[in-house]
Amino acid sequence: MKILLLEPDKILGQTYAAALEHAGHRVQHVGNAQDGISALDNELPDLVIAELQLAAHNGIEFLYELRSYTDWQKLPVLILSIVPPHELSLSLKLQQQLGIAGCHYKPHTRLADLIRSVNQSQTVQAV
Amino acid sequence: MGRGKDTNIAAQKRLLNALAEQIKLPLLQIARSAELALQQGSTEALNNIELTADSALKLLDSYLLSLRLNQASTDIFLEPVSIAAVLNDTAHELSKLASSYGCQLELHLSGRYEPIMANRAGLEAALTSLGFVFIEAVSASASEPKPVVKLAAHRGKQGIVAGTFAGNELLTADMYHRARRLHGRVRQPLTGLTSTAGAGVFIADSLLASMSTRLRIAHHQKLAGLAATFQPSKQLNLVLS
Repeated sequence: MKILLLEPDKILGQTYAAALEHAGHRVQHVGNAQDGISALDNELPDLVIAELQLAAHNGIEFLYELRSYTDWQKLPVLILSIVPPHELSLSLKLQQQLGIAGCHYKPHTRLADLIRSVNQSQTVQAV
Repeated sequence: MGRGKDTNIAAQKRLLNALAEQIKLPLLQIARSAELALQQGSTEALNNIELTADSALKLLDSYLLSLRLNQASTDIFLEPVSIAAVLNDTAHELSKLASSYGCQLELHLSGRYEPIMANRAGLEAALTSLGFVFIEAVSASASEPKPVVKLAAHRGKQGIVAGTFAGNELLTADMYHRARRLHGRVRQPLTGLTSTAGAGVFIADSLLASMSTRLRIAHHQKLAGLAATFQPSKQLNLVLS
């Protein structure tokens, strides 16, 4: 599975990428929303994993921009954020509207949980 | 008098909030790197754990030093300090972290400087805390493969300006003033600079405040950054600069 990982912290991004690659996925890691859009332009992934708390542009803006392009409207997105879920204020409707397949709170999400969630999203896509 | 004490306690609480938010990142890096090291036996992950733990400990020490210096109202121990030597030591301190974040750390001193009156440990802690924030921030935002973070000093109109600089166009005086009002109350006060709480910036500012100077937006060779201005002391020319 080709994954675009939008993670602002380089060390954390490399760690997530290494774990996902070890689980058999191909990962492109970017640190900001602008690089994320450029990466999508170059190669369409099967899944986007995104942090919402970014410098300069926030992750919700990134998701709205992502969904504004026809080609990227059905691309599944997993949120992996340092912001606790109750503070994200993402209603179910908004999650559906933005095509968010799942929300994970980083401090409570082990690498094994993330890999499981990625594999599940792959199964859902296949069905 | 009582009101002043309350304001000080409120400021300390806000700094503690910012620190608590900030410290989640290195703890998260350590937790996930440890998980990766256990799964794959990755040496790089072990190196990350060591480096991240060291950086987090330094940040905590800088916070504690800022508390001590700001509480020592009667006997602040200022001493003649060579700014060049402090910047040089700070660069050594930050070099491993910069390399792990893929940044090029440069030291730039234009000319020789007279000694300044400062608390040496406090000044080095302030510049190191500031460096942590810039290194982490430019590695995420820069488009070039090896972004530059510069520790630098130059002569300004008001005195010797020393601080940390990078090619971040989003670092503005407005944003910084807003962030100073908001830190400890919001999760990400320096929105244009970093995705984190940027606690290192506010700890540095608090350390510098104990030496009667503050962090401000400054420029050095077309780079934007945060720096403080120090008055050179003509009485202390015997100290090597």
